[in-house]
Amino acid sequence: MIGYAAGRSPLHRAHPYTPLAAASAVLLLAFAVSTPGAVGVVVLAAVALALLGDATGAIVRPMLVLVLPTWALLLVLHGILGGDPHLVLGPVTLSEPGVRRALVLGGRVTAIVIAFLTALATVSPPRLVEAMTARGVPFGRIFLLVSSLTLVPRMRARAVQILDAQQSRGLRIGGSAAARVRALVPLVLPLVLGALAEVEEQVLALDARGAASGARRTALDPPRDTLGERLVRMALIMAVLMAYAAKFMGRGA
Amino acid sequence: MAVNLVIGQIVAALLLPVFLDAVGTILVAALVGPRAAIAAGLVSQILNAVLSGNFSWLPFGIVQIVIALYAASVARLGAFKRYETAVPAGLGLGLLAGATAAPISYFVFGGVTGGGVTAVTAVLRGLGVPLPVAVAGASMGTDLLDKTISCVLVAAILRSLPEQLAARFPALAR
Repeated sequence: MIGYAAGRSPLHRAHPYTPLAAASAVLLLAFAVSTPGAVGVVVLAAVALALLGDATGAIVRPMLVLVLPTWALLLVLHGILGGDPHLVLGPVTLSEPGVRRALVLGGRVTAIVIAFLTALATVSPPRLVEAMTARGVPFGRIFLLVSSLTLVPRMRARAVQILDAQQSRGLRIGGSAAARVRALVPLVLPLVLGALAEVEEQVLALDARGAASGARRTALDPPRDTLGERLVRMALIMAVLMAYAAKFMGRGA
Repeated sequence: MAVNLVIGQIVAALLLPVFLDAVGTILVAALVGPRAAIAAGLVSQILNAVLSGNFSWLPFGIVQIVIALYAASVARLGAFKRYETAVPAGLGLGLLAGATAAPISYFVFGGVTGGGVTAVTAVLRGLGVPLPVAVAGASMGTDLLDKTISCVLVAAILRSLPEQLAARFPALAR
């Protein structure tokens, strides 16, 4: 299950920007380093973040679902089909540079997935909206993100309904590739036209909430942002800047 | 935005080897214009990351920007008014999107991106094709098919749009 899991960990209690900043820093650092050892350190940092957020139980399953196929494909594409020299490990012959590259690429994806699954598990969406409102983020942008998040599950349910309805009217979803491509139109059209018709409702909802007004809105219960957390976020920015400075000066790990 | 994410469900039910994850971006480009299409493309990329939990594909947001700009340009030329013009527009978009995605796929992800594209890359690599060429070939091939179908779908949607609804989108009248 991907998403917020209620808890009392330091990350749950932190200002929503702090876990998000930590996850973003992991993402940027993962791309700043390019040796297996350095990427391993970034993975450990992501694991430490998950432990701090008491999120390991919530994220292990989705993490494995997301990263295992990537590791398998990397092993085939780089480990087995990679260039010379090759290592013989029992019945398997692996490319030495390919394995190194697979470790770097797989480690990056693993670190990013762990860090953001942790952020998603520890940042409460309503608290994030309050934090963004308190920071003066335009209401239209907040509404865009939040309404889309709620719209996607509804549209997915509607897609299933349309699929069932069209099949009950005789639409065949099997057969040749050409027949399946032709079946796209009667399935996609009602879905998209319905979504476009909903745009009008969204516009009315935005108008009613004064989205066009440039006035700063007042947050009802803004999360507390301590000096310590602001310093942590500043340190994360500095770490990322230093990593990229080292990378571009040729001293990166 | 949600259209970009939900069409994948229909595609999966039809077992088609495409994504069609840019239909919403192309549609917004044709209906509203490039700025709204870029916003739609980027937000759908972020939403996809939030809903799937996989944020490592965010660099592909650049492809959504390219798609938005191209689609808005060809829409102004009337490419989505007829199927005969939507097909070449889709082929052009496929080439452009593939050419944009391939370097990201190769340099950032070592060619391992999505199941279908990576499977094609692995087959080409197994046949002895160098990795950069295999990644570019797989990316271009899948994007040509994907974006051509996407553009034809957008043309079909625009043709079916009720007049009352179409009147709300000024870019459509141009």
